[in-house]
Amino acid sequence: MKTLLICPAHRPAVARLAKACPLVLVPILGKCLVEYWLEYLVLRGDHEVRIIAIDRAEQVRALVGDGSRWGMRVEVIAEVNESDPVEIRAHRDGHPVSPATPPAPDDVVLMDHLPGLSGFPLFDSYEAWFHALQAWIPQACTPDRIGRREISPGIFVGLHSRISPAAQLNAPCWIGDNVFVGPDAVIGPGAILEDRAFIECGAHITRSVVGPETFVGELTLIDQSLASGNLLINWKNRSCLDVPDEFLLCSLGVRQPPPRARSWVRSPLMSLRELIPSQQE
Amino acid sequence: MKIKQDGQRMSISHIPELSAVNSTSFRDEVQAAIPPSMNTLDIDLSQTLFVDSSGLGALFSLYKNTGSGNGVKLRLLNPAPQVQQLLELTQMHQFFEITRD
Repeated sequence: MKTLLICPAHRPAVARLAKACPLVLVPILGKCLVEYWLEYLVLRGDHEVRIIAIDRAEQVRALVGDGSRWGMRVEVIAEVNESDPVEIRAHRDGHPVSPATPPAPDDVVLMDHLPGLSGFPLFDSYEAWFHALQAWIPQACTPDRIGRREISPGIFVGLHSRISPAAQLNAPCWIGDNVFVGPDAVIGPGAILEDRAFIECGAHITRSVVGPETFVGELTLIDQSLASGNLLINWKNRSCLDVPDEFLLCSLGVRQPPPRARSWVRSPLMSLRELIPSQQE
Repeated sequence: MKIKQDGQRMSISHIPELSAVNSTSFRDEVQAAIPPSMNTLDIDLSQTLFVDSSGLGALFSLYKNTGSGNGVKLRLLNPAPQVQQLLELTQMHQFFEITRD
């Protein structure tokens, strides 16, 4: 069966989410949208998938490769404009259709929602994004996630996460892999901490999503927000703030490489090389 | 920055930013202008586009010196959504009375 997955192009309502990567690659509970769709299709029995990517197709191609990771054949095609599934289907109907092609609506999928959650569109607004992620929590704890467990009803914790016994966890909440939660922090209800988030002591995170590798400072309050790096988006009133102070909110992923130590052998050689004029001069 | 006094009320407006650059001078100027018989201090943040932790520190310093315990009501008027976000992130919205028109 050959299925067509269409990546959504520019979505002004959630433009800040797509700043670092295309919308289908934004982390959602440890994976990204295109991964969830490929997993869904492979479980359904699809073996051949074509992905139409409009925004930064090379990044999508780098992630999915040839699809061997899922045991299927995946091809990523870069296009300029977003195709309409109805138009594609109508165009396809004019040509001979392979009997192996799945019937509508599963043959052509616009990835603007998570599999099985068509009632929760992701990209209508930041609020819609948040509610879709909340709805996805019970389904995201799939068996392929090694080490993930539901420590109490509605509280999911990933591998190698360290949570202080003095922290308070309120369901529903999702804590990713390698997350640190300090003492007296309050997580949830409605909190999602993506992988490698670092929550300092006394921080309160409710009805919010903290992105991967994001540091949340001591005694801060994140409510009704999407925090990623130093970007803080209030999903309720759509206000966006680049937090200026790193001790409040910042990215742990962007780090300057340490200055390379000068070797006592290499340094004189490099100096000598600079003194010798090149042959081209 | 404009400082206006109306009876027992003092209003501060036209603050383009409250950052490490101007927070100390802002705090000192406001404190120097406060009369002894004031009961309300209004800080209009409607034109304030940028606030950082130094600016928050200046506001909190005014709150400590004039607001809490001294019977002076300190109000923040019409903060921009981004400033409101920072106040909430640092939980400082619990200290100030934030008023919107």
